[in-house]
Amino acid sequence: MKIKQYSNVLDKPLSKGKQEVSLSAFSFLFSELVQYNQTQVDNIAELERRLEDAGYSIGARVLELLCHREKGNRRETRLLGILSFVHSTVWKVLFGKVADSLEKGTENEDEYMISEKELLVNRFISIPKDMGTFNCGAFVAGIVRGVLDSAGFPAVVTAHFVPVEGQQRPRTTILIKFAEEVSIQLLTRFMLYLGEKQDWVEFLAHSCVTFLNLDSIHMVMMENLAAAK
Amino acid sequence: MIVCVAVVGHQNNPLYIQSFTEADDALKLHHIVHCSLDVIDERVNNPKKSGPLLNETFLGLLYPTENYKVYGYLTNTKVKFILVTTDLDVKDADVRNFFRRFHAAYGDAVSNPFHVPGKKITSRTFAESVSTIVKAFGLSSAG
Repeated sequence: MKIKQYSNVLDKPLSKGKQEVSLSAFSFLFSELVQYNQTQVDNIAELERRLEDAGYSIGARVLELLCHREKGNRRETRLLGILSFVHSTVWKVLFGKVADSLEKGTENEDEYMISEKELLVNRFISIPKDMGTFNCGAFVAGIVRGVLDSAGFPAVVTAHFVPVEGQQRPRTTILIKFAEEVSIQLLTRFMLYLGEKQDWVEFLAHSCVTFLNLDSIHMVMMENLAAAK
Repeated sequence: MIVCVAVVGHQNNPLYIQSFTEADDALKLHHIVHCSLDVIDERVNNPKKSGPLLNETFLGLLYPTENYKVYGYLTNTKVKFILVTTDLDVKDADVRNFFRRFHAAYGDAVSNPFHVPGKKITSRTFAESVSTIVKAFGLSSAG
């Protein structure tokens, strides 16, 4: 196969361009963003909220773009699907690599954690002692929240430092806690999938309720089932 | 011939409606688009076993009415694209292609940092790229 040689550099086809931005440019921009927000607020919680809001609008747009570019024609409807989408595709596009790990929380059913040894946005930032538990990873938490919210899985996302022995800097963990409606959605979908027969589905609903012991969930589930019939 | 394209947000609020005929029946087109929203909701919430997969974005022909055909497309963020056309022999692949390019133009419009999600799309670039795509669709299906 002969590779076409271009005698004139103007004849070469335009390349798609590198999809990368220099790290120093981003770090500079991010530090300016943090400093600008610092002058506008009085306390740390407000600063975290502002960073998260900035990330939220990014997350919504990233979801729209990525679904068109990468996923072709598929829409994520499953919880694990959207989580692994965030964990690999979104991380790869934003930070150039997949996240280090995705874990399910042990205490609650609706908590998941994405951990990263060194979050890119925190690489050139050190938190002064009087700021306490403030984490600039709130920006990334906002991005994740934007992606999940726009996909139809409302959640509360926060960033935490988790100290690891043997390392100087602690590991960063993004904690995702899904809203109640997500677990209800999952439960009703699961039950509808299991059985077409009415009595079978209602039996499952009752057994779930006695197991979980939550009346509010029961009412909403019954409504969902009645609407779906 | 494409009569109208519409973008509807995830709470069924209209984000962009553009008609491409000289006739002055914008109200009728609004009505047709509104009815098709119901069909989309029905398709998404009650998947037929033989119908399209639950997570497929292209919804296909929604319903034919008098002399119009209505096609639907659902993005990942529950934003819906509606296409109303008067062509009788439209190929499926053409419509899919149209929606793919339309989705790209929509992605560009939404990436605008000054665009507020949920408000109408007011970008002139988006309007121009949409008319380009519509013209290209008319040429390819006629040829």
